[in-house]
Amino acid sequence: MSTTQPSLRERAEIAAATLPPLLVQAQRLAGTILIGEHGRRRAGLGDDFWQFRPAEYGDNRRSIDHRRSASGDIDFVREKEWKIAQSLVFWVDQGASMRWTSRESNPQKVDRARLLALAIAILAVRGGERVGLAGDHSRPQRGNQQLNRMAQALSIDLPDDYAPPEHDLCTPYVRAVFISDFLGKIDKLQIALHKMAAQGVRGILLQILDPAEESFPYQGRTIFDSVAGSLSHKTLKASELSDRYVQRLAKRKDEVADLARQTGWRSGAHHTDKSARTALLWLYQALNANST
Amino acid sequence: MTWLGGISFSAPWLLLGLLTLPLLWLILRAVPPAPVRQIFPAVSLLIGLSDQESTSDRTPWWLLLLRMLAIAALIVGFAGPILNPSNEPGRDGPVLILIDGSWAGAPNWANQIDLATNKISAAGDDGRPVAVVQLSQPEKPVFMAAADWRRRLAGLQPDPWLPNRTRVDQFIGQLSDARFDTIWISDGLNHSGREQLLAELETRGRVVVHQSAHSPLGLLPAQYDDGLILLTAQRSEAKGSLSLDVVAKGPDPAGIQRNLAVGTIKFEAGEIEGWATLNLPSELRQRITHFEIPGQRSSGAVTLADDGLRRREVVLISARQDREGLELLSAVHYLENALSPTTEITSGSLMDVLPSNPDVIVLADIATLATAETEAVGDWIKGGGLLLRFAGPRLAASDVGRQKEDPLIPVRLRSGGRTVGGAMSWGEPKTLAPFQENSPFSGLRIPDDVTVTTQIMAHPDTTLTERVIATLSDGTPLVTRKRLGNGQIVLFHIAANAEWSTLPLSGLFVEMLERLAVSSSTKRPVAADLEGTTWNPIYVLDGYGNLLDAGNRPGIAGPSLLTDPLNLDLLPGLYQSENRYLARNTLAADDLLSPANWPAHIPVSGFFVERELPIAALLIALASVLFLVDVLATLALSGRLAANIRPQTSSIVAVFLVLAAHSPAPADEHEDFAVMATSNVVLAYIRTGDSIVDRVSQAGLRGLSRTLQSRTSVEPHPPVGIDLEQDELAFFPILLWPITADQAQPSEAAYSRLNSYLRTGGLIMFDTRDANTKVRGITSPNEQRLSQLAEPLDMPPLEILPEDHVLSRAFYLLQDFPGRHNSRAVWVEAAPDNAERAQGMPFRNLNDGVTPVIIGGNDWASAWAIDEEGRAMFPIGRGSAGQRQRELSYRFGVNLVMHVLTGNYKSDQVHVPALLDRLGQ
Repeated sequence: MSTTQPSLRERAEIAAATLPPLLVQAQRLAGTILIGEHGRRRAGLGDDFWQFRPAEYGDNRRSIDHRRSASGDIDFVREKEWKIAQSLVFWVDQGASMRWTSRESNPQKVDRARLLALAIAILAVRGGERVGLAGDHSRPQRGNQQLNRMAQALSIDLPDDYAPPEHDLCTPYVRAVFISDFLGKIDKLQIALHKMAAQGVRGILLQILDPAEESFPYQGRTIFDSVAGSLSHKTLKASELSDRYVQRLAKRKDEVADLARQTGWRSGAHHTDKSARTALLWLYQALNANST
Repeated sequence: MTWLGGISFSAPWLLLGLLTLPLLWLILRAVPPAPVRQIFPAVSLLIGLSDQESTSDRTPWWLLLLRMLAIAALIVGFAGPILNPSNEPGRDGPVLILIDGSWAGAPNWANQIDLATNKISAAGDDGRPVAVVQLSQPEKPVFMAAADWRRRLAGLQPDPWLPNRTRVDQFIGQLSDARFDTIWISDGLNHSGREQLLAELETRGRVVVHQSAHSPLGLLPAQYDDGLILLTAQRSEAKGSLSLDVVAKGPDPAGIQRNLAVGTIKFEAGEIEGWATLNLPSELRQRITHFEIPGQRSSGAVTLADDGLRRREVVLISARQDREGLELLSAVHYLENALSPTTEITSGSLMDVLPSNPDVIVLADIATLATAETEAVGDWIKGGGLLLRFAGPRLAASDVGRQKEDPLIPVRLRSGGRTVGGAMSWGEPKTLAPFQENSPFSGLRIPDDVTVTTQIMAHPDTTLTERVIATLSDGTPLVTRKRLGNGQIVLFHIAANAEWSTLPLSGLFVEMLERLAVSSSTKRPVAADLEGTTWNPIYVLDGYGNLLDAGNRPGIAGPSLLTDPLNLDLLPGLYQSENRYLARNTLAADDLLSPANWPAHIPVSGFFVERELPIAALLIALASVLFLVDVLATLALSGRLAANIRPQTSSIVAVFLVLAAHSPAPADEHEDFAVMATSNVVLAYIRTGDSIVDRVSQAGLRGLSRTLQSRTSVEPHPPVGIDLEQDELAFFPILLWPITADQAQPSEAAYSRLNSYLRTGGLIMFDTRDANTKVRGITSPNEQRLSQLAEPLDMPPLEILPEDHVLSRAFYLLQDFPGRHNSRAVWVEAAPDNAERAQGMPFRNLNDGVTPVIIGGNDWASAWAIDEEGRAMFPIGRGSAGQRQRELSYRFGVNLVMHVLTGNYKSDQVHVPALLDRLGQ
């Protein structure tokens, strides 16, 4: 036991050390988007004014707006816009295959995935939504405390390649954001999506890829290893594989997009050499587009 | 040891190392490059992909070849190769550098001077004293230290003449008996005395000759024959067939020296002479100053035109003939015969011929002219014309010039004439007195049989003596002359036919006309013809064949102009006497160029003598470069290059690619660009040099293009960036010009293109991207830069986009024109003052055409910008209000493109009520 204790603590400290920068970075990224009105565009419970309507039988007398009514003979009721909080559940692939970058100037895929997830979570919390992580075994919550918890959970590196998509969301009818490179087995994603679609969960698939994974710039005798070393492939002339690899990648992308279409999700791709802000903007718009 | 001609080795046994190369080939071939381990998450997609071939097990042949070459270069390099080993053993004693220095050496004069400089340096290195002599201006050779001579070399220039016997003899006389070696830099032409000089020099030491491989070319004086100009060129050696251009040069009507005509001289194989003929209209022929063979740059390849080429235009006007058939009595018969071989004679009424500005007008026995005619002729004379008058019965009978001097007669005349030696008079017919020194006829021989029987008399007064240029033996004037402006009036006091004298029958009459420049001989005069004349140079030639202004060089006596050899005082050039022009050319018509042939024992070489050059260092450097290439190639083969140092190498490779790709076929690029830009609508932006701004512009126009594609029938191609300095603007309907504070000012040429773009209907949209923000009343840096950039542009007056501008309804109805910012300050071309709102119409009847500029600061490109996947790149505003603003900015973009493409047709709806009204009826 004495050997595991320090390692656990060490890991916790390492995780905690990365936490503030990630949060700060995510907050800065989220700061580039100003959230606007987030009403349901119909009368209901809320703070913001929606419309005046003539008082009807059954209206509470306290709801009559006297200032408006005093300008005429009819009593008016002031209606508020209906606001409702939504739940947003994230899954970020933290498998070993995400911890890789082809160039030191680009971030690792997992870093970008975490950053985007946290930034959109921050925006959601500011917008009054509840956020949570898939597989967290707790309901989505709001508040900074929840963001801290998420940040902590997002900094756990999984040892194996190609983590399977989490589909235990605890709550039906939530919105979901799945961020991964989707390079693992596609049937696991298929199972997860179909299961969630059955629960009425809609969401977004964001595929994060390294530019080298798109262009395959390798040549000569090469042995390709996966990050955790579970898979390896040897070739004598890597440049000859390039065309067939690119075809396979395109097919994989099509599969992911098809899955999303079947289940009513949206899918998108992002490359780590592009600005995170563009991806965030797209995510934010995609979520907004679905929410109304 | 000398090997492979021109290369020798200092350690030739090292070359045996080359034998090991085949062995190395076998060894290296067996060792394949090692594999690379590469971490790659997408390996899951690679599983199952098998190699199609397995050739990479062996080192590729080209890599082996590269290595072999490198090792071979190394071995050869260490063997000490030396290029152009010198075969002249070192000597001592003084060196004479003898340069022919004639015009024949002018085309490669710089090479001769270089060669001389090298030789002087070499002599200086050996500590030998040097003397330099230019044989065309021989001096006593003065042997001095090499450094002293090297400075003077630059001052040597080729002379426009050849060394001749006199000069060679003079030089031989100045040679001392001391021994010296001679380096003779020959022009390649033989000249008299060359053999003697060579023999003299050989008695004093070794002689080496340097001579150009090109044989000199000469152009002989042009000849005019039967309406054609015949040009003859000579070459010193008869080689294969050759054609050369020959150019006639002269001033155009504006006085600028131009090529007036071009002919082709053809040398047949084996001939040393070639000919060209030029057939030029007289007008053009008159203007020719000289002919030259372009590219020759020697005075021998230039020949000057003189009066021999010119045919003067002479107008003969005589009184009306009332008798038929008496040709010998005609007033102008002898004149016509004297002039017709050498001039172009026209006739007609005075007022008709004056506008053609003839050289000479001859009035034979015409007494009175109308006042208008008198004035016109006076003006013409002042402009340089020559009025030649002959007396006759009519002039004698008239009162012209009796009371006072007639403006068109040189002297006052006495009434009536006088007749001597006739049947009814006393005395003998008079002969001519010898011509005075200052007379233009000075030097002409007077035949004995020329007599004068009748003449009209001049009224003696103070001006008479200076106006007389020929007299009779009794001193009475025979020919008088008066200068008027640039021209002159000459009066022969006798008739132009043989009734009054025998002068028109004699050869003297023709010579006098020549001296007066009435006629000009096509035959070259001989020395005797020019006796007593003095010729002033107008311009002269230097050795290179450049025409130089003669300045105040002294005049030359006529005979010496023709016969003396050319020298410093008598340079080839154009000489003038009175109104006559005579050219002295470098080559005379009977000159013959012959090549300088040297005896077999004299070593002759060209001007370019390579110095001894050790090339070991070069080969070893080559070997190391090859090894470096080998390292890169090996890395590239094994895939390490791509993974590790790609950014650096790719930029290096890019530099090479740019260097390689830039030179060939830029025309194709331009063409592709034009085809791309014109095959469809293409939105364009101007590259500012700021990569971020440019990327946003590109993305913005991409977003706008995509919006246009989905909403309108405009389907643009992907947008392009424009380099103002290089690209053609006319292909693009609209240019987006984002302003950055540190943007470079375009060049003048770019501005002229921009202005023509604006004038021909283009639209430039300036975007300061800062929403016209003012900081404490100071305009933003972008705006300041904008005003500097736009200052040279041809801008119309501007106004803030009015509410009824067609931009607000070209496609969408708009009130605001937001981009990323939403400022109302968008400026367009101002509407004309008289634009008025028609009755009942919501907008004015505005100017036609598209506004050439739109200036704003709303950062439209950022609002439109999308990335490759179609996602907006920049957030706008707050939430859904921001989305609305983005939508409006797209609508503005659509309106803008519609406005550009369709013009103002929406404005035409101002007529809709009237049209509907008519339809109703």
